Amino acid sequence: MSSTAASTSASTTIQGARTARWSVSDIVVASTLAVAAGVIFWGWNLSYQVVGGLFAAYPPAATIVHGMWLFPGVLGALVIRKPGAAIYCELVAAVVSALLGSQWGLTVLSSGFVQGLGAELVVMAFLYRRFTLDVAVLAGALSGFFGGATYHWVIPMYAYAPLETVVHIGCFALSGAIIAGALMWAATRGLAATSVLGPLASRRAHREPVVGAGAGR
Amino acid sequence: MSATSTPREILDGARRGTAPGVSGPSRPSASRSSARPAGVEVRAEGWTFQHADRPAPALEDLDLHLAPGEKVLLAGPSGAGKSTLLHGLAGVLHDEDAVSAGTLRLDGAAPDAARGRAGLMQQDPESQVVLSRIGDDVAFAAENLAVEREQIWERVREVLAAVGLGPGAEDADETALLLDHPTAELSGGQKQRLALAGILAMRPGLLLLDEPTANLDPAGVAQVRDAVLAAAAATGATLVVVEHRLGVWAEHCDTLVVLEAGGGVRRRVDAARVAEDEPLREELAAMGLWVPDRPPQLPTWSPRRGVADDGPAGAADETLLSAAGLAVGRTAPRRARGEGRRRGRGPGRRRRPRAGSAPRPVLEGVDLTLRRGRALGLTGRNGAGKSTLLLSLAGLLPRHGGRLVAGTGLISGSGDAGAAAGRERLGEDPGSWRAADLVARLGMVFQEPEHQFVRSTVREELALGAHQARRPGTSEPLFTAEQVEARVAELLERLRLTELAEANPFTLSGGEKRRLSVGTVLSAGPAVLLLDEPTFGQDAHTFAELVRLLREHLDAGGALIAVTHDVAFLQALDAEELRLGEEPASPERREDADAEPAAGSTVPMLSGVRSESALGRRGAPAKLAAVLLVTVALVATMDWVSSAVVIVAGLLLVPAAELRLGQFLKRLWPFAVGAVVAVWGTAVAAEASGEMLLDLGFTTVSAGSLELGAAMGARALAIVIPSVLVFSTTDPTDLADGLAQQLRLPARFVLGALAAMRLLGLLAQHWTTIGHARRARGIGAHGGFVARVGATASQAFGLLVQAIRIATRLAVTMESRGFGAGPRTWARPARTDAADVGLILGGLALAALATAVSILVGAWNPVW
Repeated sequence: MSSTAASTSASTTIQGARTARWSVSDIVVASTLAVAAGVIFWGWNLSYQVVGGLFAAYPPAATIVHGMWLFPGVLGALVIRKPGAAIYCELVAAVVSALLGSQWGLTVLSSGFVQGLGAELVVMAFLYRRFTLDVAVLAGALSGFFGGATYHWVIPMYAYAPLETVVHIGCFALSGAIIAGALMWAATRGLAATSVLGPLASRRAHREPVVGAGAGR
Repeated sequence: MSATSTPREILDGARRGTAPGVSGPSRPSASRSSARPAGVEVRAEGWTFQHADRPAPALEDLDLHLAPGEKVLLAGPSGAGKSTLLHGLAGVLHDEDAVSAGTLRLDGAAPDAARGRAGLMQQDPESQVVLSRIGDDVAFAAENLAVEREQIWERVREVLAAVGLGPGAEDADETALLLDHPTAELSGGQKQRLALAGILAMRPGLLLLDEPTANLDPAGVAQVRDAVLAAAAATGATLVVVEHRLGVWAEHCDTLVVLEAGGGVRRRVDAARVAEDEPLREELAAMGLWVPDRPPQLPTWSPRRGVADDGPAGAADETLLSAAGLAVGRTAPRRARGEGRRRGRGPGRRRRPRAGSAPRPVLEGVDLTLRRGRALGLTGRNGAGKSTLLLSLAGLLPRHGGRLVAGTGLISGSGDAGAAAGRERLGEDPGSWRAADLVARLGMVFQEPEHQFVRSTVREELALGAHQARRPGTSEPLFTAEQVEARVAELLERLRLTELAEANPFTLSGGEKRRLSVGTVLSAGPAVLLLDEPTFGQDAHTFAELVRLLREHLDAGGALIAVTHDVAFLQALDAEELRLGEEPASPERREDADAEPAAGSTVPMLSGVRSESALGRRGAPAKLAAVLLVTVALVATMDWVSSAVVIVAGLLLVPAAELRLGQFLKRLWPFAVGAVVAVWGTAVAAEASGEMLLDLGFTTVSAGSLELGAAMGARALAIVIPSVLVFSTTDPTDLADGLAQQLRLPARFVLGALAAMRLLGLLAQHWTTIGHARRARGIGAHGGFVARVGATASQAFGLLVQAIRIATRLAVTMESRGFGAGPRTWARPARTDAADVGLILGGLALAALATAVSILVGAWNPVW
């Protein structure tokens, strides 16, 4: 950050003054990402009619593709990098899907919250300072685990036998790790490379190391 | 409507107005003159600003003084920091990690401390609209500045009239609009005037306009400019307008300020000198600005049509593409059931086409012939269906009727090897060609270059088309790897992008992106180019570059069709003109011709029209509470009895939502399918009990698990019915008002989500267009499942990029209208009334009834 301007006495560099408070850009971009996720769900729901059919023989394994529904939370966390981003994005995406018509009715609110919470807890554990591949994968996995666990024990939407329950939740977490975690980490780097993340804290995501502790800002 | 009307009554009255424009007398109130804001004095001293992660400052050591009321035309080469300066003055520049120095003052105050004193209008009309109804959108800024509720509506009506949009506007050039007119239905020029109204509602002393007319057609340009000038004259506000088409503003401004790239002020002169001072005009033109009465310098060019016989193949003047009686539409025609299902529309009332009504062509009877070496311009009013026609000609939309015939020269395609095979294997109808064949024959250049970008470097982007092209009827590549490389090298040279070969396409400047978007299409050597508004918003340099590229294409025996409003462009290419939509179309068609049938328009709650039903008039939080109570009772148990009670009650309530049963069932059926899936899933995967019904080897279906499955299925349906009823009758704006005012959720987040929600329809349009662009480039063209997934992922990524771009601009719009600064008022109060309480009690009663019945018959089966 060296420039002729920075060397003048009147210059102010606002580095390191990153606050937990969301800027207007953070709010609007997070909201729009969530709404765009709603549009992508819309396309995905059409494909899911086919994809879901593949699991008719063994429905518990269908969660292996359910990570698709978890991506807004992890993506929001990786892009916005502010406390609450995962919960907010997943929740707003859930509301949008409810507005468009969701087969889960109002229960999407609780699923959205809980799934977002899973991702949120992981990035919180890293103090909102690390957004590397390993963190993203963990966030996706916990999001899936929380989502699955809720469907069975908190607001039960399934009545599966123990083995099927384990398969169901396990596949959900695995899918979350891959689709919501690894894929969204790659997407964030791709977005940063296009320079559209300019006003956001993640603008340098494509230059950060893949894993490791040196990845903090 | 008397002056004592409450805002709600004014809105209600406006909504019920029998005819547009009669909902209220115009009230040129006395308060207008007393509240006239004085112009702001702007002073920049040594101001420097460097965006985070940029190698150089956007502006350095800027010294500038603007007197109150001064009208300033701000110009400069691209990258001179014009937008940065406007954003700085609007108080929306506060990047973390940015570097700034010096001072920028509005009447002596820092811009972010002078909230509401400056209003900013940006280029893209879509991101200048915040809310889904024009009244609410204008009120937004006044709310953010905590204006008293009574005053807000007075201001709204006053400023809407001032920009020629509101009821009673004196010089309304079209039907004046009602306060709850959906913003989505406005044209680009109307959206910009609405943005101006939103700004004026703050009573600003400084109007900042960042290329406000670059995305508009000529009629829209004049309307917006005149509205701005009138507002500046009426309020005495200082005006700063950035524009590279100087002719639009120069004669109306006092001062021309020219910025130096990466520096400060280069010139500050009397704006009148733009018309007469020849050295100045020369200098401005050299920066790529459009100087009035001085078209960009183009080399003389005589079209080689009719003489050239050394083109790629075939005789000169040969017909490449012809259409006869073509009928086109956005939505694919439905063959089996079409005309018979169309219903008459009630007189007087304007209705949106219902989802499910047969799609019809937006344009019919189009005849055209395109010969080698020729350019054809498609012109006509907005919404005439020009873009739809272009997509259909490109083979990207199915036709509704008529014939489209490719000449042998086009069928032969590019590449020696492809030519012979092409003549043998391809039919004469481009609509029947594979994407891999299209890419080497018909090249589509989209209006927004970014829609076409799919790779991470310029080089890969240029290689893609040639790489995707196949020999007709086979999966053999049309070009060898060496040929692809050679084509890319040649294109980089022609496009003058060699230096940027490894750059990410999205990071290029506007002009570079435009050149690249044409280059990506030239990659596979199509004979016919189809371009949608290629010169929109481009500076004179890019215009000249584009003309040069296209002339080369024509000289090489190619041909092109361009949708455009740009007369200079058509002249430069010696193009024939085909005017479309001359005969007056029905009002309905006028609006919908080029619009996508987006999700927003088929989902009633996002259409901007409020439900007037008994349920629709209830407060949103009350509805949510009622549904929540019922949902809790349902999820607490796994039995079919309580679910059945709720399903029956829900069906009985359908009339209260004023939904037709057919409509309701249509919305419900996907969930009914979901319920059946739930039955099956549970039947297979639940603990087996009772009689074994089916043994699949690895799993079984038992009587017990099937019964449990039925209960889960019924419950799934019971959960969804109340929420379908409530959400079909809830307006998002009302929901947000309720959440923020009654439930006290943080207003910034609620309104942020609401503003984003309005983008749903726009994003759905982007999704469709990005899909077209992907197919035009041959992505996912030859592929099985994996290629299709890859194409969808690429489309989703493209959508995310656009979503973030739009959101970033929308955030600037919102912040420049005072959003997020402090306490705000609400133009429309949300209160809980007795009927709302009744609704909540009703929800409670239904929850209790369902549980009680279930317990009484012994079916209640608690889950916890």
